[in-house]
Amino acid sequence: MAEMWINMGPQHPMTHGLWNLKVKVDGETIMDAVPEVGYLHRGIEKICEDRTYTQIIPITDRLCYGSSFTWSHLYCMTVEDLMGLEVPERAEYIRVVGIEMQRIASHLMWLAAFAADLGMMAGFIYTMRDREVFIDLFQAMSGSRITYNFPRIGGVAHDLPANFERDALRACDYTEMRLREYEDIFDDSKIFRLRTEGVGLLKKEDALNLGVTGPPLRGSGVRYDIRKDTPYSVYPELDFEAKTHLGCDVFARYRVRMEEMWESCKIIRQALKKMPKGKWRVVAPRVAPEGTGVARVEDPRGEGMMYVIGNGTDKPYRLKIRSPIFVTVSAAPVMLIGYKLADVVSVMGSLDMCIGETDR
Amino acid sequence: MNLFEFCYGLIHWLVDLVNNLWYWLGDVLPWAFGGFFTAIGDFAASHGTMVTATILLEGIIVVAVALVNVLNFIWLDRKLSGRIFDFYGPYYVGYRIGGWLQNLADGMKLFTKEIITPAKADKLGFLLAPVIFVGSSVAILATIPLSPNFGIAVNDSGAGVPAGVLFAFAMFSIAPFSILIAGWSSNNKYTLLGGMRSAAQMMSYEIPLLLCVASVFLLSGSFSFVGVVNAQHDVWFAIPLFLGFIVFIVCLIAEVEITPFDIPEAEAELVEGWTTEYCGMRFGLFMMTSYLRGYAGGALATALFLGGWQGPAVIPDEIWFLIKAYCVFFVIEWMRWSVPRIRIDQILHLGWKRLMPLAVLNLLIAAAMKSMGWF
Amino acid sequence: MERAPSRIDQDPADRVLRALAEGFPKSVSNGAKVRDGFIRARVDRGDLYEACTMLRDRQGFEHTSMISAVEYDNRFEVVYHLYSYQARLLLELITTTPKDDPSVDSVALVWGGANWHEREAFDLMGIVFKNHPKLERILLPKDTMYHPLRKDFKG
Repeated sequence: MAEMWINMGPQHPMTHGLWNLKVKVDGETIMDAVPEVGYLHRGIEKICEDRTYTQIIPITDRLCYGSSFTWSHLYCMTVEDLMGLEVPERAEYIRVVGIEMQRIASHLMWLAAFAADLGMMAGFIYTMRDREVFIDLFQAMSGSRITYNFPRIGGVAHDLPANFERDALRACDYTEMRLREYEDIFDDSKIFRLRTEGVGLLKKEDALNLGVTGPPLRGSGVRYDIRKDTPYSVYPELDFEAKTHLGCDVFARYRVRMEEMWESCKIIRQALKKMPKGKWRVVAPRVAPEGTGVARVEDPRGEGMMYVIGNGTDKPYRLKIRSPIFVTVSAAPVMLIGYKLADVVSVMGSLDMCIGETDR
Repeated sequence: MNLFEFCYGLIHWLVDLVNNLWYWLGDVLPWAFGGFFTAIGDFAASHGTMVTATILLEGIIVVAVALVNVLNFIWLDRKLSGRIFDFYGPYYVGYRIGGWLQNLADGMKLFTKEIITPAKADKLGFLLAPVIFVGSSVAILATIPLSPNFGIAVNDSGAGVPAGVLFAFAMFSIAPFSILIAGWSSNNKYTLLGGMRSAAQMMSYEIPLLLCVASVFLLSGSFSFVGVVNAQHDVWFAIPLFLGFIVFIVCLIAEVEITPFDIPEAEAELVEGWTTEYCGMRFGLFMMTSYLRGYAGGALATALFLGGWQGPAVIPDEIWFLIKAYCVFFVIEWMRWSVPRIRIDQILHLGWKRLMPLAVLNLLIAAAMKSMGWF
Repeated sequence: MERAPSRIDQDPADRVLRALAEGFPKSVSNGAKVRDGFIRARVDRGDLYEACTMLRDRQGFEHTSMISAVEYDNRFEVVYHLYSYQARLLLELITTTPKDDPSVDSVALVWGGANWHEREAFDLMGIVFKNHPKLERILLPKDTMYHPLRKDFKG
């Protein structure tokens, strides 16, 4: 059969989000791959130049709706860097609890989509059900299920509700029990291993050069986690590890994310125990000074970064957002060329794509 | 009293009733007109016509019963998957009987959809492929008797089709052609890929399947269902031919395209695979035929390996047959919702490199047993 | 025989700033350490490619975090955020281009991760990156005529 270009997307049940992948196949083998993004471009950076600093927080929630707490927290960190604000400690701990819960919820949603793509509907249903546990906690904390609008410049919007600590600890116990079950379901399944081992190899040099960050980078053997290496917020005081795996393939990235979920449960427990009493917010000035602010966080998908330029008014002059998936998708052809067409699903699933943050 | 006698009696009664009219007309009308009607009456009452009509009626009854069973299968599948996923299956339609009417509701919904034929599709192939697929699969159902008394028979001894099992598997194997035609004539790269994958998978799993069936033929010495089941009166073939049974079940799952072998219709990559361009009830027929082949495969597995309709006489033979077929189906469906999909080249690798040697080994075991005189 | 390592080069931030200042004395200016693990410098656009190559090969900056394009009244600025995993150091490198000729050398061949960042800067702000392997629009449709992030674009 001759070589032909196949268009996978933009309307496709598999592609989580709206993007297009052109693959050139020769029979079943992929010769070339060209990802195309931009179908979900909303012009967020331009919008943000016309909103006050507080009005931008809900907008940043909607950057990646699968892990929205991380993005609004990142934005608040950036503006606090610009304004030189010192955030109270209780607020930092609340933020860390939120971020880690968001990380577990995001990874569970990734696992759901990954299992569904590979054909295991049972995995999809179970993990989405377990994610509901955390969504309920978020609803108690902030009032909404997916886009919270909870961090504020200078702290968080309001204090944690009553019994939150008890509920969160229960959620962590439940999640750890379920994670053991998932490891039995997925790791011991020969078919799952057949689909994921040896597929989508991304060598360490390629990963570093192509700017890949997050679980794909850690799945290629580079032990780099922003929470450990350039810590922010109260991460220096918390005890956890950055997990890596030397496999460089889809299975390695899957293992990294599973182990990250374990670590997140650990972090939530520590943070809840160490949380001091006190104020949860300082009032931020309305007008930002001239200057720049930079912040980097470890998003569930990689390295998120924001760069804001203030010009002495209450609206930013320029807000630039760095999305991890934007760069990881550009590295996708390296992981696809030479494999079979059916591996596209495994590989793109392992990258945990969220198009909201790619296209902004 | 077997099905043949029942249907023959029915046809006989019907023909007698209608022949009253013809003979009366023959008496009343003069000259050639009368002779004409008398000739019709004689033709209708002749043995050959009545036997033909009986066979047709038997076919309709057997297929109708099998189709009701297929509906049952689909309902059971949805309930079972619901329970595995920790929710209810169909619940509201047919509330008091556990949601059984959901299938009818879905069928009605599919009837009301608009049927679109792609503009550049090859019209003849596009229209003919579902016909071949569904027709050949329903033909399998017609040949499977549920008991010695309930099956298509050609005379009143209830003998059944002499080469029933052979015919059933021949009909089973027509499907890859229709899938290829359907995939190619839809004028769509995705369906082409899906059709080719599907045809490759089915053809490569036919061979171990038929080798296992050949081993059963060897031990039973006959090609008909009644002969095969009667040869299992001491012990079911699943026990000496355990390897063959396992290989048969795996090949069956691959033939019917159930997860873990459902890559041709893998939603994640190829939307719906080779059935993408079909709308409305045509698609519904494809889906139903998929379950139909599952039922047919389960029934064949029961007849060939699990002793067919043999069991304590407490429950009638037909019910035993159905119980065993449902058990086979239950195990297949349990596996379906628990494991991921295998990639197409891994499927082909499994079929050619792992199952075929096992099927050949099974055949050698059967030959050894036969030559030792145990069967 | 190499020089013995001096105490001046112990701190990676100082080492990088010195290497930049010594390697490109006329182009690099305003090198400063903003805080622990974050340094900043300006470089002329003529020496950008050599500076980036030197940073990747000899100073260990393997990772391009972000490339932003900013428009001011009289100039465009391209801000490169580069990260070194070994030294845990973030470097903010700012280049300036005149308003009527917004073009810079592309570093997509130095770091593969910069490829799409530069395409986005071209798409939204209109900065041309010379020698880019495939400078096309990425987020907007391919036949768009304008660059929306510019200040004179009012939508």
